[in-house]
Amino acid sequence: MASSGNKNINAKLVLLGDVGAGKSSLVLRFVKGQFVEFQESTIGAAFFSQTVAVNDATVKFEIWDTAGQERYHSLAPMYYRGAAAAIIVYDISNQASFDRAKKWVQELQAQGNPNMVMALAGNKSDLLDARKVESEEAQTYAQENGLFFLETSAKTAANVNEIFYEIAKRLPRLQQTPNPSGMVLVDRPAERANTASCCS
Amino acid sequence: MSSRSPTTTLDDEEEALEEEAESPVQLNAINGSFSEEIVAEGDDDFVEDQHFESNSKAESSGVNEEISYTWRNVPEIDEVERPLSPGSSGYAGEMGSTSGGDEINDDDEDNSDIREVEFDGVSGSQSQWVSGKRHADEDDASVSWRKRKKHFFILSHSGKPIYSRYGDEHKLAGFSATLQAIISFVENGGDRVNLVRAGKHQVVFLVKGPIYLVCISCTEEPYESLKGQLELLHGQMILILTKSVNRCFEKNPKFDMTSLLGGTDAVFSSLIHSFSWNPATFLHAYSCLPLACATRQAAASILQDVAGSGVLFALLMCKHKVISLVSAQKASLHPDDILLLSNFIMSSESFRTSESFSPICLPRYNPMAFLYAYVHYFDIDTYLILLTTSSDAFYHLKDCRIRIESVLLNSNVLSEVQRSLVDGGMHIEDLLVEPTSRAGAVSSHLGQPRPGVSAPGRMADGFVGGIGGPAGLWHFIYRSIYLDQYVSSEFSSPINSLRQQKRLYRAYQKLYSSMHDKGIGPHKTQFRRDENYGRSFLFYPVALRMN
Ligand SMILES: Nc1nc2c(ncn2[C@@H]2O[C@H](COP(=O)(O)OP(=O)(O)OP(=O)(O)O)[C@@H](O)[C@H]2O)c(=O)[nH]1
Ligand SMILES: [Mg+2]
Repeated sequence: MASSGNKNINAKLVLLGDVGAGKSSLVLRFVKGQFVEFQESTIGAAFFSQTVAVNDATVKFEIWDTAGQERYHSLAPMYYRGAAAAIIVYDISNQASFDRAKKWVQELQAQGNPNMVMALAGNKSDLLDARKVESEEAQTYAQENGLFFLETSAKTAANVNEIFYEIAKRLPRLQQTPNPSGMVLVDRPAERANTASCCS
Repeated sequence: MSSRSPTTTLDDEEEALEEEAESPVQLNAINGSFSEEIVAEGDDDFVEDQHFESNSKAESSGVNEEISYTWRNVPEIDEVERPLSPGSSGYAGEMGSTSGGDEINDDDEDNSDIREVEFDGVSGSQSQWVSGKRHADEDDASVSWRKRKKHFFILSHSGKPIYSRYGDEHKLAGFSATLQAIISFVENGGDRVNLVRAGKHQVVFLVKGPIYLVCISCTEEPYESLKGQLELLHGQMILILTKSVNRCFEKNPKFDMTSLLGGTDAVFSSLIHSFSWNPATFLHAYSCLPLACATRQAAASILQDVAGSGVLFALLMCKHKVISLVSAQKASLHPDDILLLSNFIMSSESFRTSESFSPICLPRYNPMAFLYAYVHYFDIDTYLILLTTSSDAFYHLKDCRIRIESVLLNSNVLSEVQRSLVDGGMHIEDLLVEPTSRAGAVSSHLGQPRPGVSAPGRMADGFVGGIGGPAGLWHFIYRSIYLDQYVSSEFSSPINSLRQQKRLYRAYQKLYSSMHDKGIGPHKTQFRRDENYGRSFLFYPVALRMN
């Protein structure tokens, strides 16, 4: 859960998604500013932390980068339990990974924290030629399910910081702060996402 | 042998192809009556067995024995090969120099076409080479696949491929089904197939419930060694999945397990590679990084501290060697579990990125349940593993790690570890030379820092003399049964080339298995001679009975 101490917030964030969707790559881009072509498949889950400043508050993300490998699915609750936020990642060039993402959303809705801020990331947006999942389709799905949606690229860094900043802003404790930061988000999420996250 | 990094792989002998183009095995003589065939001594071209059995009727392998093996040269040595460059056992160095001239030249000429295939597979980054599956393009129809010297397969009792060392599992469905047919044919006759010999090839089978493991090899390793390797391979799978994976087969006999092992090719290939360089794989013992006593105690006491607080096992490791190891109360850690755990961690690049918390099963501790492993690398070689039964202990373990790290830094343990790595273990030339240097050398293993000047001197001696240590001693391994540990000297001149090192390794392996062979042994004292390449070695395995 997000917990605050005078505008210093610790927020547990979990990344879920299919093998190879780019969860680790997104985290490494966000935390270390790096990208590697041959990112090894994650074992269990890796832990990172990164602090962002949003509207005069600091949010310290405690990030769980989980493994997409099938054998770890049943253990996912161990990582998303108590999370304030989740990024569900799919690969825009892989339809199966989008289907898998929907399953994660369902699971989180059924088991997770109802106040959890959920983001849907259509990753590898640099691979336009290989696109299999239309962004309209994902956008519609996200709206219907109270998620906010961005297409990201860990490779080019497009929308990577943005998705984390957007989550930070939506964390319940920050809802009071009236002024959104000056950042312009292309895929501004629907109302419903706000209602889902402001009941604290 | 301990100096070889697990990343030197290209020189694997079994990685090389056989000379003759010949299918691995003619599996045709099936009559339901296979029985174990213990390796016949005569057919070994490497070590001529000339046993001088001082006590061949020795009591059934005594528990109170301590064994050491030594390898001496006999005087007629004249050939000195190029010594290893000092950096050749370095982690990064090995990765970059896997094609080191030595091995290529050593290998059979007619492999050259296949070699190219290997290099093609390697192109790309160096780390890719170790991690990825090799020769994935091959299948049982490929000539190169058939010529591989050592295959490992895991398959399900319904014949579905689970793992293959070479080639794509899915393309090997037909081959898998054949192996399954052999096993079940014999089983239907109320028997069990352990070993099939076909020319130079041995086909070793191991049945573990619904999971079958098969090794096809023409490396002339003893049956017992190959079987032990299959056991370890199975253990590695249990470490990743637990034995409860067997239940999947109860529900659905045709269950496809490959998806459950996704991303673990590197784990298996590095384990298989270790069968050809890491004595721990047949000694069932672990080895410690040489460190000063005070240094190790500093590490042990902080690990002991955290072990009191809900940590089941705490291990501080440097590569595959133990720096310190602490267990809570009555729990004990089997050396094979240490081997499999460290192999898993070192071969999974994922652990190096940050701290991780992952389910892991220790097959010898409890094959049915996961433990949770907190893993953190302090530097490129040194890592901490904290194992717990509690799935929500992460933050606690993270705090433990922070405490441990600060103690290790304050007491210079990490820098001592790096120093020990650079020093490179125990050198035979340091032993028994003269009273003064002897004291220094012996204590360097026991822990006192090696005097700085001795290192260059030692190397020079080795190069010039070319005859190893005093009294013609070239190499030794000592295994303590009480401690489950072994100590071995580093390779030094004249055992310089990787090929020679591997031959020595194989000889130890063979010796060990013959000493523990209930069929013809145990032979407590043996004398073996190796006259390959115009050289004679004498092998003195020494079994010391204490009491
Ligand atoms: N072109 C492109 N490739 C990417 C991008 N993000 C990740 N990749 C590549 O996709 C592959 C998989 O990325 P990972 O970050 O390991 O995927 P993951 O979701 O963490 O996978 P698991 O850990 O196995 O669950 C890697 O080879 C990355 O280099 C991206 O934005 N664009
Ligand atoms: Mg990952």
